[in-house]
Amino acid sequence: MNRIASRWHQKLAVALAGISLLTVAAASAGEISVWVWDKAFNGDTMREAGALYTAEHPDVTFNVDDTASQDDIRAKLQTQLLAGSTEGLPDIVLIQDDIAQKYLQSFPGAFEPLSDSIDMSVFAPYKVAAATLDGKSYSVPFDSGVTGLFYRSDYLEEAGFTAADLDNITWDRLVEIGTEIKAKTGHLLLDLDLNDTGLIRMMMQSAGQWYFNADGSLNIVDNAALKKALETYAKFYQADLVKPVSGWAEYTGAFTSGEVAMVPVGVWITATIKANADQSGMWGVAPTPRMDLEGSVNASNQGGSSWFVLSSSDNKEETIDFLNTVWAGNSQFYQDILIKRGAVGSLLAAREGDAFKASDDFFGGAPVWQNFSDWLGQIPSVDYGTFTAEVDAAVQAQLPTIIEGGDIDAALRAINDQATQQMQ
Amino acid sequence: MAQARLDRREQITGWAFIAPALVLLGLFMIYPIVWSLWMSFQVGKGMNLSFGGFTNIMRLTKDTVFLRALGNTFTFFIIQVPIMITLALLFAVALNDATLKFRGLFRTAIFLPCVTSLIAYSTLFKSMFATDGVVNQALMAIHAISGPISWFGDPFWAKVVVIIAITWRWTGYNMIFYLAALQNIDRSIYEAARIDGVPAWARFRYLTIPMLKPVILFTTVISTIGTLQLFDEVYNFTAGTGGPSDSTLTLSLYIYNLTFKFMPSFGYSATASWVIVIVVAILSFLQFLVARDRRVKP
Repeated sequence: MNRIASRWHQKLAVALAGISLLTVAAASAGEISVWVWDKAFNGDTMREAGALYTAEHPDVTFNVDDTASQDDIRAKLQTQLLAGSTEGLPDIVLIQDDIAQKYLQSFPGAFEPLSDSIDMSVFAPYKVAAATLDGKSYSVPFDSGVTGLFYRSDYLEEAGFTAADLDNITWDRLVEIGTEIKAKTGHLLLDLDLNDTGLIRMMMQSAGQWYFNADGSLNIVDNAALKKALETYAKFYQADLVKPVSGWAEYTGAFTSGEVAMVPVGVWITATIKANADQSGMWGVAPTPRMDLEGSVNASNQGGSSWFVLSSSDNKEETIDFLNTVWAGNSQFYQDILIKRGAVGSLLAAREGDAFKASDDFFGGAPVWQNFSDWLGQIPSVDYGTFTAEVDAAVQAQLPTIIEGGDIDAALRAINDQATQQMQ
Repeated sequence: MAQARLDRREQITGWAFIAPALVLLGLFMIYPIVWSLWMSFQVGKGMNLSFGGFTNIMRLTKDTVFLRALGNTFTFFIIQVPIMITLALLFAVALNDATLKFRGLFRTAIFLPCVTSLIAYSTLFKSMFATDGVVNQALMAIHAISGPISWFGDPFWAKVVVIIAITWRWTGYNMIFYLAALQNIDRSIYEAARIDGVPAWARFRYLTIPMLKPVILFTTVISTIGTLQLFDEVYNFTAGTGGPSDSTLTLSLYIYNLTFKFMPSFGYSATASWVIVIVVAILSFLQFLVARDRRVKP
């Protein structure tokens, strides 16, 4: 009797152990969900990264959601974090670098610090800096927003210039070249949207400046780089070289249709430009022009984003392991996404790979990726602060006056007043 | 006595029937309204809120962007509502004419914009008024303008497009109210007027308009509220910025930006929301005051 009972106990113990083992297995067989906003670019890139990890870890599945726009993701994230509701939040979310600090500072504890488990020194420093708070880094850098001057080489040639004429020039020189192109070919130089401050911010960052000082206070009225950027912006309009557009579709339409000759923009535009296969060989990429100002270099940044892990994630361990193995360790993966998606990653070691050395026939056989990665190393690092959206709105409010030749100092004061008001 | 008890039981049953609706109404309407009033006195970023008394109201009076948004909203309201109400009235009277052929077709055509989704029609208008859009092409074809107008790049024209768009969308909606009201007017009144030799414009001015007064008041109040809440169109036209130069920024869009685009300050946006409530209340009251029946003393 006793023996039977003890055997029964043994069986029970084994069964219980089995169940607990199963539970452990179930908890580790997780699904990693990700929010991204561009199917062809960051969506498919993340899917490929996921596939690489799943090959090694068959129990992990990926759910990459690219149905929402970037604005929607921001609104969703902000609303849920404010409401303190983590239900339905993903494990990983893609956030653009210039608003990262807003999330990190407004929602302490919402994001997982990653610098303890992932070596941040393998990434471009300015990308890591954008998501570092109180000595901890919270992101795995994804694509770089390294900028270049994309131009139609056929128009340039028709106007009597060569690619060398665009090498390391100033914006003022670009205005002269643009005037010549317009006279010879009838094409406007570029297209601009008064509701978008991208070009102004790009110019400002090329001089290592932003809207804020190191302590977070506003740096507007005495910001020589911002002043110069606004002056340069106005010059394009005063020289009558701008096609005014409104919204993303019109913005991209103006250069993909061949209407304007150039577009100074972040490297992520490559996928959009190369989508028109019939324009192969007609495009070139020159270094970003610099401002005629001490400290301004021929390299800057526009956009670019990074992966953030939410603290509410229920399988952080795998999520971080995934980011560590693929995004922080697989140099070959970066060659693939560069060739397939035009994604210039921020992993420094990837720059030594084959794809970065290859030339691109679409851009007339130039080694464009090598150039971009060279410029990447020169981008001045700036602190984007927490109120960029507010100051952007204040700058936009002044643009119509500025392009009509309004006083720049008065505009700077107005921007300063409005931004001070908004930052309360 | 028995009658009274039955009444009470009926009353209880009645209240029981509407209780679920009342509870839901209280939970999802009255509670948030009261809570937002409480919140409008809170200051702080994100969820770090603290009681700030009248700080938000003081901030509103000095907020140039808020004042710009308020100004824009009033511009839209003062220009657009009278245009739309007049158009709707004229369409209704014209389409009420029994001798008009294809009346049904015209009525449908004018009412149709109302059933389109706000997002769909805003997107359509945005593409029509693009620099290379059909509107510019048509105007250039008839030589009304020499070069394309940058509709959304110019503060004045951006406002004009918003006014055109909301007028297109809502005129038919108001027309339906007038048509319904016109059909309730006794034909014999017009017959009598005609026999007395009253001309057509006088019949419109002294018969139709006074008879439609309650409906005109209703549509004016509804349109006023609608214009003050204007959001979808301007959000779509300007990718949420209310540009250029804040020229199409409305109160609702500003409140949205304060909450979801900028560093979230819930207290302040609640204060701005209550401004809409107060403005709507004042305007509605004024409209009732203007339209009230002046009793002729015997």
